[in-house]
Amino acid sequence: MLVAKRHQLLVRCSHWLNIPLLLGLILSGISIYWSSPVYQHKPDPATGNFDVAADIGIWICAHLPGQHHSASPPDWIYNHMSLGPGMLAPALRIHWLCAYLFMLNGMVYAAGLVMGGGWRSLLPRRTDVVDAFRIFRYYLGVPFAKLAHREWLHPRFNTKYNALQRAAYFSVPVAGFLSIATGWAIHKPMQLHWLAALFGGFDTARVWHFWLMWLFIFFVVPHVILVLADGWDTLRAMIVGWSAKVDRSEVIESDQ
Amino acid sequence: MINEEKGNSVGSEDIPSTSTGSNLETTQSLAAGSEDTNPTAPVGAETRQGVESVEQPANADGSPSSSVGHALQTDKVASSVTAKQEMEELAKTGPQNANLSASIVIERSEAVETIQQSGDADESPSLSVEPAPRIDEVVPPIAVEPLFVKKQQSFFEEQPLPVIVMAPRVLRYRTRRDVLGFGIGAVAAAAGAEFLLPQNTLSRLGVRRDMSSPRKEWMLNKALRIDDDVAEALYSLNRMVPTYTKSHITPIKNNYNGATPDPGYISGWNLTLEGLDSGLSVCLDIRKLMNRFPMHEQIIRFVCVEGWSAIAWWAGLRFDDLLRAYPPMSQAKWARVESSVNLDNSGNPDPYFVSIDLATARHPQTLLVTHLSGQPLTVEHGAPLRLLVPVKLGLKNVKAITRITYSVKEPRDYWTPYGYSSYDGI
Repeated sequence: MLVAKRHQLLVRCSHWLNIPLLLGLILSGISIYWSSPVYQHKPDPATGNFDVAADIGIWICAHLPGQHHSASPPDWIYNHMSLGPGMLAPALRIHWLCAYLFMLNGMVYAAGLVMGGGWRSLLPRRTDVVDAFRIFRYYLGVPFAKLAHREWLHPRFNTKYNALQRAAYFSVPVAGFLSIATGWAIHKPMQLHWLAALFGGFDTARVWHFWLMWLFIFFVVPHVILVLADGWDTLRAMIVGWSAKVDRSEVIESDQ
Repeated sequence: MINEEKGNSVGSEDIPSTSTGSNLETTQSLAAGSEDTNPTAPVGAETRQGVESVEQPANADGSPSSSVGHALQTDKVASSVTAKQEMEELAKTGPQNANLSASIVIERSEAVETIQQSGDADESPSLSVEPAPRIDEVVPPIAVEPLFVKKQQSFFEEQPLPVIVMAPRVLRYRTRRDVLGFGIGAVAAAAGAEFLLPQNTLSRLGVRRDMSSPRKEWMLNKALRIDDDVAEALYSLNRMVPTYTKSHITPIKNNYNGATPDPGYISGWNLTLEGLDSGLSVCLDIRKLMNRFPMHEQIIRFVCVEGWSAIAWWAGLRFDDLLRAYPPMSQAKWARVESSVNLDNSGNPDPYFVSIDLATARHPQTLLVTHLSGQPLTVEHGAPLRLLVPVKLGLKNVKAITRITYSVKEPRDYWTPYGYSSYDGI
């Protein structure tokens, strides 16, 4: 049986380690955010509330079925997406622990990319814009093609990833790097003030850090859905390292 | 030579038909795997690309103990033998193939030069190759065999994924092994999370068991300690924190931990110094302090552990000047800075104290502040004297200091029992 080597061992390990680490970082990070929200407005005269995340929680409790009896609507977001109330000190300790492990994990990932040569597959190319458009058009057309019972072929690429995947898999490590950099900028704003200045100062670096977290969340959710939709072979490849999907034309093409 | 013998044996096993004089087609279809419907196509690929990412063929020659380098050598010999045999075959088939065979020889020699061991750590020879019985498997017993490798054109160009041949049973075995391995990792991560998460969070998640333990505290404090060591390593006496202009000033709130004290204490206020080199304790009033030491002004950012910050205009005397005028005992490394007028939330006395390392106290921007925004400090901001340590979190900036005690050992800090860092360098 022919199989194609897809992912280096270290890349696979660091890939899966990101799940507990990012979960720990996000849960503790939102607890830290709770103690001084970045997005505030003038206190509401009726409730005294000034936090945008609390507004969203109030809205969720009013409109989401099953949430009407929430004890504290302004805290809904925090109660469901963080370690819990009054947790600044434990949250900070867990955040630092996970942050150091996350940085180590990033080094493991980088080592795996270098050793396996996988970094080449992640680099953006000149053809990416056109190819991304082709892939995008394919996805847009899938429902219509299904409804009309028409054949709708996936664009062919002879690369490890298509242009959209490449854009995602290239930007996520970049986002990881930026969240580490912004993390240091707001963790040591005096000793590393040049780093904070690079992101527009201490307060702006906090905004960066906050939205980089959302970037991970926005990436992970479709990432998991798409991998599951793509099938067992793709998921297995991230566990065992190889895929049974071998492009046989590739084997023959290389002969010409 | 042993190598040569082994090489010969491998070669003869791989291409048994060559010796019996059958044609090239059968040879290649055996080597590349039985699924190849068009055996002529992989012939070129195989011949040309040679033996990149060679796997340990230990089982083929029945000696699993042979080293990696040994195996490589074996294969070099094996492939050269194969090439020779193929050349003979090609020469026999006719003169129209003469050019082809010449090019094959050249490229094969190149390929042999670029032999490299596959870098995957999980494919160590002892694990990877099951002694697969040759009788029931049509594919070769070698678990992994190179099929092709495209010559790299540019350093940055993506290479095609290395294609390898693997017996289905080896495939299943490895899948089982790796899925199991990663499953164990997932369970370990979940156990680690249950161990590390705060008790309140666990009970919210429905974990009834009491997971608080000294080992957990020790572990989390260890992480905090590493972070403190990093902060301490980053600190430099010569690195100044950024200063701002008056247009950058932002409002600073009264963030008294508990209730704001009654201003009655200000009139009888004194600063007591203890742990001095002289062995005496010194009492200073605010007039004495302000007259004796030069005043310094700075507009700097004040950062709270909660995440908010404020830029304010402060003026006061340097802590360093006080240290020079009243030197601490020679071995002292720490100062305990205390405010006895601090109150808790319900207005009861709750002395507030923090530890400051003397290295930080000597920083030129560490001030004992008397003025905010050009006005004497108000009670909300710690009249008449407060600490301003720009390289520390706001919680170290004690308001209304009443006592400074120098010590050799690190003194207790108000916030440490709550799980905060005791160094708090930023």
